[in-house]
Amino acid sequence: MNPVVLPRSLFIALGLLLALALLFSLALGPVSLPWLDTLKATLRVFGAPLGGAELDQAELIIGQIRMPRTLLGLAVGAVLALSGVAMQGLFRNPLADPGLVGVSSGAALGAAMAIVGGAWLGGLPDAIAPYLLSACAFAGGLVVTALVYRLGSRNGQTSVSTMLLAGIALTALAGAVIGLFTYLADDATLRTLTFWNLGSLNGASYSRLWPLLVVTLAVGLWLPKRAKALNALLLGESEARHLGFEVERVKRELVFCTALGVGAAVAAAGMIGFIGLVVPHLVRLLVGPDHRVLLPASALAGAALLLFADVLARMVLAPAELPIGIVTALIGAPFFLYLLLRGRA
Amino acid sequence: MRVTARIASLCCAVLLSQAATAADALPQRWVSAGGSITEWVVALGGESKLVGVDTTSLHPIELKKLPSIGYQRQLAAEGILSLKPDLLLGSEEMGPPPVLAQVKGAGVSVEALPTKSDLATLEHNLGRIGALLGDEPRAAKALADYKARLQTQAKWVSTAQADKPAPTVLLLLSHSGSSPMAAGQDTIGAWLIAQAGGRSITTHTSYKALSTEALLALDPQVIIFADRSIAGPEAKAALLKQNPALAATRAAKNDRLLALDPTLLVGGLGPRIPDALAVLGAAFYPAATPLTAVAKPQP
Repeated sequence: MNPVVLPRSLFIALGLLLALALLFSLALGPVSLPWLDTLKATLRVFGAPLGGAELDQAELIIGQIRMPRTLLGLAVGAVLALSGVAMQGLFRNPLADPGLVGVSSGAALGAAMAIVGGAWLGGLPDAIAPYLLSACAFAGGLVVTALVYRLGSRNGQTSVSTMLLAGIALTALAGAVIGLFTYLADDATLRTLTFWNLGSLNGASYSRLWPLLVVTLAVGLWLPKRAKALNALLLGESEARHLGFEVERVKRELVFCTALGVGAAVAAAGMIGFIGLVVPHLVRLLVGPDHRVLLPASALAGAALLLFADVLARMVLAPAELPIGIVTALIGAPFFLYLLLRGRA
Repeated sequence: MRVTARIASLCCAVLLSQAATAADALPQRWVSAGGSITEWVVALGGESKLVGVDTTSLHPIELKKLPSIGYQRQLAAEGILSLKPDLLLGSEEMGPPPVLAQVKGAGVSVEALPTKSDLATLEHNLGRIGALLGDEPRAAKALADYKARLQTQAKWVSTAQADKPAPTVLLLLSHSGSSPMAAGQDTIGAWLIAQAGGRSITTHTSYKALSTEALLALDPQVIIFADRSIAGPEAKAALLKQNPALAATRAAKNDRLLALDPTLLVGGLGPRIPDALAVLGAAFYPAATPLTAVAKPQP
């Protein structure tokens, strides 16, 4: 695969794209604010003593609604794309997505348990209720991934193909249990479950944001350190071992990073498909398979794409809102097909 | 003389302005989420105050002209704020909670009313809506009328049951697919059946899928479909043709398949329930004199 663009120009382009996405995400919404007010209010959110009482509404909308939402989109997009790169590298398959190791279905199972179980338990205290869903989703993702990893390991060796098959089996099993919960759920719970599965950045707040930001930062700093090992893995496991990489350790780290990142992203924003699968693929089509470029570029592209998708999600049906999973798939899938067809021609 | 006139007019002006401030204190721009709550707002004369409704607010049909804020459980803060409301009124199903907190943070009062299907809840809700509209007497009258109608209905049912035993009734949510969802004992569907004088035939709770065999085994005398699309005779014939098992039930053989507006089943007791009960009752007891003029069995 020959790179279409040089890494440096790609980074500049993606940087500009992300800056534009951030700008749009802060400046556009169902409440139309003048650009100058947006700018002033944004500066005020960061502590600049600007304007008077007339900016209070703008400050509230930007500071309490758009800013946490933008940060959430940024983190979710970046961490999903990074995890996608890690999984595609680990499985040496460009069609791998973070869901393959069971983290998404585990998180969905955790969420279903929380949603249906929470409805059974009745009135949970307000202080716990909102966190129960996120915590269960995160825990579910980690537990199922750990199980997949265990099933794929024998005598200290992890077989990637066994892990893949175990992932498929556990995904099916989780699907069945979710189905059971769906059957037991009442009408209202069912709707909550359905919407959760479509994902949304709606209702982001700082208090629920910081765990994801920490995880994203950790994954975003850790994974690029393993870029060379991922490059070596492209040659094959034994080749990578002969090149002096601790293959088992790298595999463990990749799975752990993915479980952590995707688990946190899903817990914060629900299931958002497509980003983890297609963004790394797309970036690879542009700059080639070098993970030293691929990892940071995918993080930038994933964040930008998710932010653009979210701007659309909140604008198209305003004042109502579209689940973001629908938008990412609607934009991404045709674009992906176009790239595939162009590559074949 | 002139002075007294002036003083009188001044007093009038003061009184008027006070009345005006009292009215100003009431929320003027309302966003309403939750079908039956919106219906009550309209029924109590608050339609002109509505600036936005959710997707479950379908009655009356004029509400469709208002901006839609989406599904009541998946509201978006900024969308609601863009309508510049003073009040977000809705059912307790409204959410998600962080969004409600954001809306509240922007200075909009948020009022979530319970949706239990009983008269105590209705009394509470009508009281709240009446207070927010500044028209408590109208709300009190609406409640009294409602209770009176339910009582008349109950009396009518006991008279009808003196002549004939209660028919066994099954309420199905959807007829598409192979296994429709049947209303269980604790649902508002079962409550409606009982109030209209029928005997709900299911034994499970909530809404559960019902297999064809179970349908045949239950063999209800009347089947209610919570689906407007099967109201006509052609649609009914098509439905029976697709579902031979359904056609084999007593209800189908005696042509006692009824259609019910599904929006009656969500969000607590709405203002259209007494009418619906009268219609259902008339269909359950075709020999009895219908309760109201509108209560003719549907074709």
